[in-house]
Amino acid sequence: MTGGDKQRLREVRAAIIGNRPDKSRSDALYPVYVAVITAGAYGVPAAQQLFRSLDEKWLAAHAWTPAGVIVAGTVTVLLLTLVRLVGRVRGPVVPPLPYLDLVVASPMPRRVTLGRNWRLSLGGSIIGGLLVGAVSGAGLAIANVAPPILLLPDMVGGGLLGLLVAELWLQGQVHASSPRFQTDSSLPRGRRNALALLDITSLRRQAASNVTMGGAVLAGDLRTVRLDAARPTTHARRVRLRASGPRVVIARRDLLGLRRAPWSALFGLGLAAAGSAGLMLSLQSPRTPTVAPLVSLVLAYLGFGAWCEGLRLHADNSGTSRMLGLPYRDTALAHLVVPVSAWVVSVIVVNAAFWLARLVPPTAFVWALGVGALLAGSHLMASFRGMPPPGVFGPNAGVPALIFWYARPLLATLVVGTAMTAWAARIAAPWVAFSWLLLLTAGVVAWGLALVGKRDARR
Amino acid sequence: MLGSRAAAVSRPAGQLLRATGVGKKIDEAVLLLPTNVELGAARCVVLRGPNGSGKTTLLRILAGTLPPSEGEATLDGSPVDERHEATRTAIAALIGAPATYRDLTLVDHLVLIDSTWGHAGPRADERSDEILELLEIDHLAERFPHELSSGQQQLFHLSMVLVRPSSILILDEPEQRLDTDKRGLLTQILLDRKADGSSLVVACHDPAMTEALADTIVDIQPA
Repeated sequence: MTGGDKQRLREVRAAIIGNRPDKSRSDALYPVYVAVITAGAYGVPAAQQLFRSLDEKWLAAHAWTPAGVIVAGTVTVLLLTLVRLVGRVRGPVVPPLPYLDLVVASPMPRRVTLGRNWRLSLGGSIIGGLLVGAVSGAGLAIANVAPPILLLPDMVGGGLLGLLVAELWLQGQVHASSPRFQTDSSLPRGRRNALALLDITSLRRQAASNVTMGGAVLAGDLRTVRLDAARPTTHARRVRLRASGPRVVIARRDLLGLRRAPWSALFGLGLAAAGSAGLMLSLQSPRTPTVAPLVSLVLAYLGFGAWCEGLRLHADNSGTSRMLGLPYRDTALAHLVVPVSAWVVSVIVVNAAFWLARLVPPTAFVWALGVGALLAGSHLMASFRGMPPPGVFGPNAGVPALIFWYARPLLATLVVGTAMTAWAARIAAPWVAFSWLLLLTAGVVAWGLALVGKRDARR
Repeated sequence: MLGSRAAAVSRPAGQLLRATGVGKKIDEAVLLLPTNVELGAARCVVLRGPNGSGKTTLLRILAGTLPPSEGEATLDGSPVDERHEATRTAIAALIGAPATYRDLTLVDHLVLIDSTWGHAGPRADERSDEILELLEIDHLAERFPHELSSGQQQLFHLSMVLVRPSSILILDEPEQRLDTDKRGLLTQILLDRKADGSSLVVACHDPAMTEALADTIVDIQPA
């Protein structure tokens, strides 16, 4: 990179800005300002409330043990792996399309033309990490769980984590570049040349996807976001779907779909196993904090959802020419066979392992089965919810209304599942809570089926 | 011939699809002026008209996926409604892009469709291969839908509608995006279907196809 390149980029930026005042600095600082205000106003109170709700004895017994550290470490590694995967879909360096076509495609070095975008993402990630550290440290101190001095190492740790996140994010984006170009020996390798390794095709793809996803998020169209983010399937093309009866073939279709998306299947298995394990353990002590079944249900919801792609694709296709011989509702129910079976199998395995380790009784299995029905109902709701009603875009509604509308299936799972699990852990006759769980689950399933009927009637 | 088998499976003799004065309005917007169509056994009605005249709207009404604002569409005297099993069994429609699964190959789609119509067993595999061969896309059997060109997509969509049993085919501009040879091939396939007893309603802008297929031509007047 030469001084001449930097000078040329300054001239290009001046040409882009024209006679308007240069607001790039204030545009970059404004999100930081909003993030700091949000962290102070909402983050710290929420964090201290969370830490207050934790039972100190439970925390000492579970969190500050080697097992607790291993769990925390595993979760961190999984989250960092997820960051790298996100980089393949939407990396930290995604300039607007016109800038890509007119400036990045020019002979100027990519380190120069893409440098500003990278520095913005890097700075944002580090500041985000610092804020997370500050919020958790302040929350711990205010709740009297840890001394205020912990705030400093928390912030430093958060900042370092932010740096690591940015680096892995970029690594994911570099990895998403065309493999043919990645092995080009004429380009210098290594982290310092990461920006130079980004090819224009993958940059354009991510920029175009960024526009599509941005519009879809603003319009509340999560289906478009999901389809745009998913990589097209190319695995196991020679494996053929076996002909079967009308309902069995739908289940076979879903199994084949999971075979062709093995990461999705494994992701679902890992999360469902972790979620069901957390639920069964949560039942064992009245001292278990309510946040334990809550987090377990979030994991279980995500894991179950990873197996529901067939159900979502069926819902996506409503309104098009129908080719299948099964009625719409029956097809939807047949698409639940694979995720429900996978949940049952994972619950049996986890329960057997815990029972052998004398951590839970075999009856905990029954509770997890009831939660499986709840997950099936909430995923029916999620798959067939359709587009948000115009009311949530109104001037009196705003983003929280949109988020609430979308989160209803997850909220139904969390409210019913958490309340019943926490109650069952605290009463002498858990079967009463189980009966209520089944009753409320029936309501969630009925809600899901009503949404299926509504989509079926959409003509 | 595969077409004859599919038709023979489910075709009740002399099914009659009739639209009497069907029209469609949404608020003040007129999508389709009142129109009459009558389709008898082994006959073909071709709909013609400029863009926006309401051909697709009429096809959707005939397929039972859109209720008319006025008039009535009936199949053997009963209202056409896609939610009724009798309508779905009789009518196979290709109006716009059909539902596809992005994680299934072309041949998987055809096996899935055939199985859900109750044709399980080794014959489903054979039938799927035959349909792909009939449309000359058998070499694409193991591709996923996103790996097809637009013309290949159209042939794949046609294969999906041809593989399922039906007595009435409703097709919206099936010649779209096809080259001259493939239009000729499609015309021949549809003529074979008609000869085997199937009835056809086709919206078409291709004069040669219209000439070859049509027993009746309905010119739709723009609103």
